[in-house]
Amino acid sequence: MKEAIKRVKAGLKLAIGWACDHRLRAAALVLVFLLALPRPVKSQFLDPCCVILAAGLSTISSTLSGVIGGGLNSVLSVDRTIQNFEQSVVWPQQLIAQAQALVGTLRGVSTQIQSVMRLPVASATLPASQQLEQNLLSANAGQIPNTDSAYTAVYGQLPATAQASPQSRNIMDMTDAIAQDAMKRAIEIDNLANLEIQAADQINQSIQTAAPGSAPILEAEADAWLVRANAYTQAATADLIRVRAAALAGRGADLKLGATNTQGLDQKLQNMLQPKQ
Amino acid sequence: MTAVFLILFSWGMVAAKSRRQAISLAAAGAVAVMLISPPRVLAQGSLVGAIQAVLNVIHGVIKTSLNSINAVRSAISQFYQLTVWPQQLISQARSLITQTIGRYRSQLASIFNLNLKSASLPATQRLETVIRDAQTGDFGTLASNYSAVYGPLPTATTASPATRTLTDMDDALAEDTLKTLKESDDADNLTLGTADQIENAASQAAPGSAPFLTAASMAAAIESQALTQKLLAAELREEAAHLAHRNALRKQAAAFASQVSGSIQNSLQPQQ
Repeated sequence: MKEAIKRVKAGLKLAIGWACDHRLRAAALVLVFLLALPRPVKSQFLDPCCVILAAGLSTISSTLSGVIGGGLNSVLSVDRTIQNFEQSVVWPQQLIAQAQALVGTLRGVSTQIQSVMRLPVASATLPASQQLEQNLLSANAGQIPNTDSAYTAVYGQLPATAQASPQSRNIMDMTDAIAQDAMKRAIEIDNLANLEIQAADQINQSIQTAAPGSAPILEAEADAWLVRANAYTQAATADLIRVRAAALAGRGADLKLGATNTQGLDQKLQNMLQPKQ
Repeated sequence: MTAVFLILFSWGMVAAKSRRQAISLAAAGAVAVMLISPPRVLAQGSLVGAIQAVLNVIHGVIKTSLNSINAVRSAISQFYQLTVWPQQLISQARSLITQTIGRYRSQLASIFNLNLKSASLPATQRLETVIRDAQTGDFGTLASNYSAVYGPLPTATTASPATRTLTDMDDALAEDTLKTLKESDDADNLTLGTADQIENAASQAAPGSAPFLTAASMAAAIESQALTQKLLAAELREEAAHLAHRNALRKQAAAFASQVSGSIQNSLQPQQ
């Protein structure tokens, strides 16, 4: 032990001697050692800075839970109420599925109606009348060019110039024209009606797979078709009224022609009965 | 790391050969120690301020925003429930439909299904029955019953070909129309069934399922309009045939008059 103390003392003397000889170097060493000296670490429990930090974090946490968490919970609660209301009152899945199923059933009824309306109704027995009837019931607008010849085969041709007066020929031609126009319009309307039924079926098919938000769009499409169908009905009604007007005009013309013919016949008879000179 | 640096620095200071080397080494060591020294610790006062700032943001901007969002969502919820889709009015609408069904449906059906038959003779009764039965499977019976009432087509020996063709065409179009009417009556019953089904569904519908029913009703209305057009087409054919028939008679009369006039003139001419 004494030996060791002697060595330490000797070492210290040597170091002090070196420091006295090299003051600048010793001062520099002391300075750098002081700078590099480890700093004291602050205790978590005793240091006032950590206490303040902990209290601050705790306050922030409770504020986040109270203010933000509470606020978000209120928003969530209102959103859940809205969601529940929309799902159970406004757009209940079950009632939507029921409505879609009903549309499927209605499509079945529509198919039934189509098959009923497609049953053949032709009844003519003679070749000429069969041809005209086939043309009139074709529901094919492409058949309209054949109507004139089929019509003439049944209802006869316009009398020749020598067979009837120009006035009579005009009346007959006009009457034929209006009758043929109406028959052609009937073919058109049948064709259009079939297309409308097809379109209605397509719309029904789309409704079956629609969403509550897209169904009104299909409804608008159906509305447009209904407006169009009404326009076609009006056109057909106009032709019907034309036919009735032509019938009325024809009766009037017959009376007028009758009066003229009676007067002419009267004149001819008087001429015939006059004694010859 | 620091210990190694200090040992090397001490050895360097001891081993430095000149005063200049010692000064340079001291300066370098001081700079190195300054660079590797730990960062400054913030003062207590600025930490409290930062925490308070965070709390102020939470209590101020965030709380106000959340309250506003909540107020808007609550207003939307109330608007939906009280103004747009009030449960009470939805129930009222449904019960109105149920009441309407109860009040009118059977009344309409009983009026619509009243027996309208008026014929008194056996042949006409049979024809009347078949043209009003709304069935499409008995067109053959219709043809025979029609013939029993309106008579068969004249034979080739009893009428001219022109007259036979005219008569056949008249009969054909009349029968066609009667058959079309039977089809239409059948389709009409199906359409009435469709209307009932849509009304039944409407009595249980929700605001979100009603558009399906409205769209389906529109599609049914298009079909109904198409059927009306088919009837109108039949009426057009009938009226046109009526007009054409009268005109055909007019043409025949003109031809006949021309023929008679010629014959009279021939017979009145003085014989040579």
